[in-house]
Amino acid sequence: MALLEVRDLSVTYSPRDSAAVRAVDRVSFDVHEGEFVGLLGESGCGKSTLGTAVLRLLDRPAAITGGSIRFDGRNVTTTPEDELRSLRWVDLSTVFQSSMNSLNPVITVRHQFADTFEAHPDAFGNKQGKGLDIGARAGELLELVALDRSVLRRYPHELSGGMKQRVALALALALEPRLVLLDEPTTGLDVVVQRDILDRLRELQARLGFAVLFISHDLGTVMELADRVMVMYAGEIVEDQPAAEMVTRHLHPYSAGLLGSYADPRDEVVKVEFIPGRPPDLSQPQQGCRFEPRCPVAVDTCRTVHPELLPAHLGEVRCLLVEQATDPRAVLDKAAALRSRDQVFAAGAEARIAAEPVLVMDGVRKVYKTRRGLSPTVTTAVDGVSFALRPGQVTALVGQSGSGKTTIARLLTGVERPTSGTIRFKDTAVDQLGRRALRKYRRHVQLVFQDPFSALNPTRTVAYALSRPLRNHLGMNAAQARTRAAELLETVGLSPAEQYLDKLPHQLSGGQRQRVVIARALAPEPELLVADEPISMLDVSIRAEIVALLDKLVRDRGIAMLYITHDLLSARLLADEVMVLNHGVMVERGPTLEVIGQAKDPYTRTLLAAIPRPGARQLT
Amino acid sequence: MLYFVRRAGFFVATLWAAVTLNFLIPRIQPGDPAQALLARLQGNTQAVNPVQLEAVRKMLGTQDGNLLAQYWDYLGAICTGQFGVSYSYYPYTVTEMIGTALPWTLILVGVTQLVSFAVGTLLGAWAAYRRNSRVDSVITLGSTFVGTLPFFWIALLLIFVFAITLNWFPEGGGYGGGSSPGWSWLFFSDAFQHSVLPAVALLITGPIGWIIGMRNNMVQTLGEDYARLARARGLPRRRIALTYGARIAILPNVTGFAIALGGLLGGTVLVETIFNYPGLGRLLLEAVSNKDYPLMQALFLFTTIGVLIANFLADVTYGFLDPRVRRAEAV
Repeated sequence: MALLEVRDLSVTYSPRDSAAVRAVDRVSFDVHEGEFVGLLGESGCGKSTLGTAVLRLLDRPAAITGGSIRFDGRNVTTTPEDELRSLRWVDLSTVFQSSMNSLNPVITVRHQFADTFEAHPDAFGNKQGKGLDIGARAGELLELVALDRSVLRRYPHELSGGMKQRVALALALALEPRLVLLDEPTTGLDVVVQRDILDRLRELQARLGFAVLFISHDLGTVMELADRVMVMYAGEIVEDQPAAEMVTRHLHPYSAGLLGSYADPRDEVVKVEFIPGRPPDLSQPQQGCRFEPRCPVAVDTCRTVHPELLPAHLGEVRCLLVEQATDPRAVLDKAAALRSRDQVFAAGAEARIAAEPVLVMDGVRKVYKTRRGLSPTVTTAVDGVSFALRPGQVTALVGQSGSGKTTIARLLTGVERPTSGTIRFKDTAVDQLGRRALRKYRRHVQLVFQDPFSALNPTRTVAYALSRPLRNHLGMNAAQARTRAAELLETVGLSPAEQYLDKLPHQLSGGQRQRVVIARALAPEPELLVADEPISMLDVSIRAEIVALLDKLVRDRGIAMLYITHDLLSARLLADEVMVLNHGVMVERGPTLEVIGQAKDPYTRTLLAAIPRPGARQLT
Repeated sequence: MLYFVRRAGFFVATLWAAVTLNFLIPRIQPGDPAQALLARLQGNTQAVNPVQLEAVRKMLGTQDGNLLAQYWDYLGAICTGQFGVSYSYYPYTVTEMIGTALPWTLILVGVTQLVSFAVGTLLGAWAAYRRNSRVDSVITLGSTFVGTLPFFWIALLLIFVFAITLNWFPEGGGYGGGSSPGWSWLFFSDAFQHSVLPAVALLITGPIGWIIGMRNNMVQTLGEDYARLARARGLPRRRIALTYGARIAILPNVTGFAIALGGLLGGTVLVETIFNYPGLGRLLLEAVSNKDYPLMQALFLFTTIGVLIANFLADVTYGFLDPRVRRAEAV
């Protein structure tokens, strides 16, 4: 008997004003004692809903509409909340997606531990009766996650994101649970911090022996940490294999697609693939295989016959072709051959020819003075940074949060002025521009933001968003702007444009929105594009698509691009040159392959070491 | 600690600014109150006799000398509680007038505001705690409905039903003809009788804003990750509602309450006029309609100081309730 047994579990969202969506559809799986299981999938595939259902935390309008959840043999599918309370956290604890907000802001860390212990007087640690010293036990737990005991006295807002997530992890281990459910536990954290926390988690898991269900879209991490990986698509589990097998011998075309979007940036030639299309609308009845519209190897029967999750290789797969094939791997080889060329984006080692720079930053230093009370604090955000951006080339700016990347972007766009040093755009001294001149200058420098969800005004149509820069910077009239907006949409691959012009942002997917943001940046025909983490909020499966789009635009139009990121894989794919920033100082700079291949600076090496290596753990 | 010192310093600085503005604004205004008074006494046609003018000036205590000397005298007078003589209630001083009216307002409006806040916050929290239940619907729909009714309409309805038709309560005034203010049982019971209708009117509309504000805030905080995590940790429902819901949701309401208390005077004009209640609001209305400058000035100053004290108290309590504010300011 497994520790957690989920059988035919279905979860349906039934909102009042729209059709019901079956987000999780007859899902069955087990998690055994001490096992580390990864659950992988695109956003909207139902993985978080599944996790929430297992935790029995679903709120209206979502509800379990079928199947069962058994924990240690006990059916907890419909256990009333009052009865459930004593089981919670003792058996199954969790760390949420956004660590930023999972601690109560108005009470101390110690208090949050105390709450937990008090709610479970009979659980572990309280066995000795009333003798439990909450402070001592909580202190021990904090030390487990490499935090100082003094953190106990702190309020959540006094901690950094990484520290908060460590506290959340320590809290999850407080009652020595048998299963910990982690839902994207490190999303939004700095790569190096992420790495640190995950290493610690794996170590604690091995030492304390709890089982883990790890939900993530971060393929590399899941593959590296987990013993077994389940892939979810459109509310169903489509493949379930041991992690090492999943890396090399996955069977489902969707798993292949996901894995194709991951590559090691240190390789000589880096190649990523993406899966075109979007997941199906689950409010509609589904017939046949749900992946069929996006599947490169689908055959006619796939459209009509819904495949079952059947044993294959060392695990289970839901695919008709695998079911029927004598050699399942042949299916994938065929898939790879069929994949059209534009679904693959590769970056080789060749360097591109250098042109005259459009923008030169020379010895730029930016100091912020903040006055709080009587003692002013001086922060040097950027210190003596020099670089040049050339047309048709991409320069990646890599660095941890707080390393000064965003300050450089602000200096480039003229939002801030440097304390010393010069910024020259062709013949213009950007650091000395007045208000009016800046307005003119901004026509040439455009931004692509990180978050496509907040970069567009939710109450305005796509056509409106695109027409603003056209009318402001190029002086077009309404009709001209609309025609041009349509052309721009075609350029960024939103075709036919008429279908998108009058849509509101919420009617578009994340990838489509980011395309609109890119189109808007292109509208005034800029010569310089500053892209600040343009893909970090997007799903892995479509990241490559956006990277390919940016690459094409830069090359075709001869735009210079500053690509700000901490993701070395996309930097490797896109950039000709990489600059590494640490505490405002440029520590390393050079052709991409050189920097990534033979990093000299310790910080760059830390960044590289933080890149997950799928299957690496099994090999060592 | 530093936080509280800063708040106190800020309080003193604004207080000084308010007092100074209160001094300057009437002096910038054109016109001479003594002339205005005489003109009213005599009718506009007759010319003003300089001797009479001087006499009126002396009587009212209008100040001479340069602005700085006047300012100095003014500050001294304020510190010793002298606001001059009321024009319209001559020879009573402004301090006496306010002293008589203040307890009425303070007791009626102060008590109803406190009760409104307490009741509103509790009902709002209860509605959020039992979200989507019948209790929630009744509280939310009920308060939204009552919130659409104008205050004066409710007040007039109360007077019509309970004072005129049923004759249970007097229709206005602070106390009846049979009693006079003093420490007697008769007076207190009479004053209580008179305060019931205005208090009920205030209590009907008072809690609405707090109910809706509290419910919405708390529904939101209970939906936050920390509240969900508290549920996952198996904390008792009540504990989640209090520490992870109400405790955080009440914060914006505390500020709102302090501001409401500060604005007490302005808000009482309507209720005291409708119920002919001898409080500060009615006094203010009379002062304005009689161009009673000293009284007005003193009342405005009182309002300003009231608002400032309320804000200061809000800041201080906020500092205790919300560690984030304390820290952000103190570093």
